[in-house]
Amino acid sequence: MPIDRRILYHFDWRVFVLTALLGSIGLLAVISASYRASVHNSLHPLVVRQLVWLCAGLVLMLSAAFFDYRSLGSYAYALYCVGLLIQALVLVGGHARGGARRWLNLGFIALEPSELTKLVLIIVLAHFLREKPPTGGLKLRHLIAPTIFTLPPVFLIASEPDLGSALLLMLVFATMVFAAGINTRTLLAIILTAALAAPVAWHYLKPYQRQRIVSFLNPQSDPLGAGYHVIQSEIAVGSGGPWGKGFLKGTQGRLNFLPEQTTDFIFAVFAEEFGFAGSMSLLTIYAILISHGLWIARQARDRFGALLALGIVATIFWQVTINIGMATGILPVVGITLPLVSYGGSSLIVMMLELGLLISVNIRRFIF
Amino acid sequence: MEERRRRIAILSILLASLFVLIAGRVVLLALIDGSRLQILAHSEHTEKVEVSAPRGPIVDRNGIILALSAPARSLYARPRTVWSKNRREQLVQLARILGIDSDKLSARLKSKANFIWLARQVDAKTAWAVDQLGLAGIGSVNEFKRFYPEGSLAAAVIGMAGTDSQGLSGVEMRYDRAIRGNPLSLEIERDALGRFVLDSPEVLREARPGARVVLTLDSRLQALVETEMRQRVRYYRAKRGTAIVLDPFTGEILAMATVGADDSEPSDRLHNPAVQDVFEPGSTIKPLLAAIALDSRVVTPQSRIFCENGAWRLGAATIHDHGAHQWLTLEEIIARSSNIGAAKIALALGPKRVFDGLRAFGLGHPTGVDLPGEAFGILRQLQIAQRVELANEGFGQGLAVTPLQLVVAYGAIANGGLLLRPFVVREIYDPLGRRIFRAKPQIVRRVISPTTAHQVARLLRAVVEDPAGTGRLASIPNIAIAGKTGTAQMVNPVTHAYYQDRLVASFVGIAPADQPRLVVLVMLEDVGHGQFGGLVAAPAFKTIVASALDRLGLPVGQPSVTEASYQVADLAPFGLLLNSANKSSALAGSSNIRNFHDGKPDFVSSLEGWCVPYFAGLSLRHALQLAHRLNLELDVSGDGYVVAQSPAPGSPIPAFRRIKIVLAGSVEGSPLHNRFSFDRARADADRTISRGFLP
Repeated sequence: MPIDRRILYHFDWRVFVLTALLGSIGLLAVISASYRASVHNSLHPLVVRQLVWLCAGLVLMLSAAFFDYRSLGSYAYALYCVGLLIQALVLVGGHARGGARRWLNLGFIALEPSELTKLVLIIVLAHFLREKPPTGGLKLRHLIAPTIFTLPPVFLIASEPDLGSALLLMLVFATMVFAAGINTRTLLAIILTAALAAPVAWHYLKPYQRQRIVSFLNPQSDPLGAGYHVIQSEIAVGSGGPWGKGFLKGTQGRLNFLPEQTTDFIFAVFAEEFGFAGSMSLLTIYAILISHGLWIARQARDRFGALLALGIVATIFWQVTINIGMATGILPVVGITLPLVSYGGSSLIVMMLELGLLISVNIRRFIF
Repeated sequence: MEERRRRIAILSILLASLFVLIAGRVVLLALIDGSRLQILAHSEHTEKVEVSAPRGPIVDRNGIILALSAPARSLYARPRTVWSKNRREQLVQLARILGIDSDKLSARLKSKANFIWLARQVDAKTAWAVDQLGLAGIGSVNEFKRFYPEGSLAAAVIGMAGTDSQGLSGVEMRYDRAIRGNPLSLEIERDALGRFVLDSPEVLREARPGARVVLTLDSRLQALVETEMRQRVRYYRAKRGTAIVLDPFTGEILAMATVGADDSEPSDRLHNPAVQDVFEPGSTIKPLLAAIALDSRVVTPQSRIFCENGAWRLGAATIHDHGAHQWLTLEEIIARSSNIGAAKIALALGPKRVFDGLRAFGLGHPTGVDLPGEAFGILRQLQIAQRVELANEGFGQGLAVTPLQLVVAYGAIANGGLLLRPFVVREIYDPLGRRIFRAKPQIVRRVISPTTAHQVARLLRAVVEDPAGTGRLASIPNIAIAGKTGTAQMVNPVTHAYYQDRLVASFVGIAPADQPRLVVLVMLEDVGHGQFGGLVAAPAFKTIVASALDRLGLPVGQPSVTEASYQVADLAPFGLLLNSANKSSALAGSSNIRNFHDGKPDFVSSLEGWCVPYFAGLSLRHALQLAHRLNLELDVSGDGYVVAQSPAPGSPIPAFRRIKIVLAGSVEGSPLHNRFSFDRARADADRTISRGFLP
């Protein structure tokens, strides 16, 4: 595909700049989180790797931006099949870390296929829901097929086990279905059923998952056990105060009081060092990115593009909300990363790929 | 398109409200709960650690060091690391260096604790050898070890400090706060597993070494008293001997010692019988009773009392005298120690006046001395009907006193009738040499009039001077002595009856009687039949007084000195401690009380160049600097800090300006290693003294 001058002209610098900004903040946070006072003057290998992923991600993002998202529709099912296959491979030959099989060891990178699966599901759902819904919105029977597409990846990911990512897929599904136009009564019926089904689902949760929910509801019930991480994370966020303790001056992360400080709890590390001002700036950047994403979805030239953009925005929104909600103790602890900030090659690269597609949707409004 | 916009608008509102919720939570945590969580964060990752400062030295009134702290290494282990990182043979080697059984070492290292002490305050050689092994999980820290360079000298008064620098008894305990100083207070970061992160501990408070405590004791007199008492105890097969030397005009205790029968027993640093134990005073109570009777005009010095020919039936009891006396004057009653006479005086006074009088002399109540654990003694308020009990009190039965109470009561007779609070700490200096405390003589009360006091003192001279007196053995040529013997039967703790053949022999006296300088108590416990106070304790009193007066510049064999010559004597190098004998009117009612505290605080500076300075406590480098400044030559033995020197501080500069110093506390470890050279140094010092440089 020849590069159109109009692509450069209409290139969405806003998304690009916001992404670069978040990536840089992420790099700072990863430096903080991996910092050990005893090892001076040398960057932790984690930081170097994150920098490499960030550069690779930028390249991918630009490629995706120039790529015409509309052709994705035709590959949707093929991509979906490949995605499911890789996801299934994890269960067979996956690399286990901390009691969960979530990674595929590709030698140079430990790939986390669930990140890829998120994108594949968004594409296939956008493709499936691209038809204009009947008057009155989507009824239950219209939802059967999308649900059938969603359930296999959800189950595969949930059985890793990675409850957080599985939950995220369902939330993205729900958001896309809502945006595609669901019948109001059907929506109410589903919400009611879900509320009734919750106690049943409780039975099928693993003990550690149940404990997380209990300790979420009352972290002080077991401050040294299940509630420990939440309490420590709250302490870290709160002790940052209005202006923070300063870059590399945080104590809770450095002294190992925080769990998963480079990934799931990176917000706490960041908030401790940069304080309320830093956290609010970070939240504002996310808010700008998300609202801009929603605007792109609104302006998209076709329903596929709108839904694709919406799915991507939903992914970012839910990840940010759940991650920060978890770090500040208002949501249960689930392993979900903070987009572009948490350490991790797979999540970073896939997220930047998605943002590239978002740009692509925005650009194609002007190119016919 | 419209439908899509509507739905995205709804979605936007939904998402925005969730986002606001999250932001609100951050506001709550960081802004509202921030300060509370900051404190919580601080408390969970920091720990306050205190590192003891060296305890201050304790010195006698001449500056001779009786207790000092020197650096020592303490070895610790982190058991988990030790087991995971080391080979078994290495541990066997470690055990050999520490001089303990390797199985025992293994057993101790089985501890689940994170940190255990392997050996506290070992010598530098051991610490170095352990460091050379390079075992993981074994380390050492600097601590301070307490040394008592003069060994057991004045052990019960000085007391002792524990391994963790805490005062446990004696002056070490009573003045612990001053002596201990301020520990170095550190704030150390701790990670989530409780491990210390020793990158940059924050110093909350710098360490301040402890203060220097100057005792009222004169260590040479103390040594002499201890030696004398040890010999007497051994000779008379006593269980224990106690002696106290008191300055009756100030309340300063110049010597206080209790020696046991068994030399091999380590000196008891935890127990001071002179203030903590009580005994029945026996006849030594009689002068107090006579003073009460004279003061209340129940008797006059000329009064005669019929002594019933040696046996007096009083109700069911019979009181005996040692001789059959008829009519005795008050002086004769005291001199011959008539029990019947004393009983009759007690009965004449009546229970109230006896109780109030003895109470005024400080019996039955702590003296307020600055030593811990002082006993009250036993003094009962008797009823009129308890005639036998009252009569018994007249000759010292049925009541109990501490040796210190008795000596302080005699002090009131010596100084003209004032009861003073005795004390053992004269001054305290902070590490910079500034005086932060100075003891002042404290009058508790006037007990008797000066006239009565002089009358009683005259009665007491008869005890020593009268050919029939019980205390003749205490007499010293040319020095007037006033005193009283005492022989009390010991009480069987089981039957509460008196032993017939187990006695407490005592002598309390004032010297010189015409110009009182000292009150001395000598007491020998558990001597056999016939070993009366006049026979056993009086000679010890004599020896102690003779030497003590010599120490004070009142050489025995010369006529009693006048006040003027006594001032001159005080200015001699030896008497630095007393270097101002200016009369002071600070104490109302007694022009005799000396203001003894105008002395220069720093011994070295006041006499630098004129006499041998203190080296004790100095490092070798500082000792050499000082010697260089004074143009002295040093003979050095040992390593560490100076613990002994010869000639003694305050001596004139010897020939060839050579000073021997003995160091300990570092490489050679405890002074025990230096015992030999240390003893030799002390012997040298003694020889210098005996050669005599007193004026």
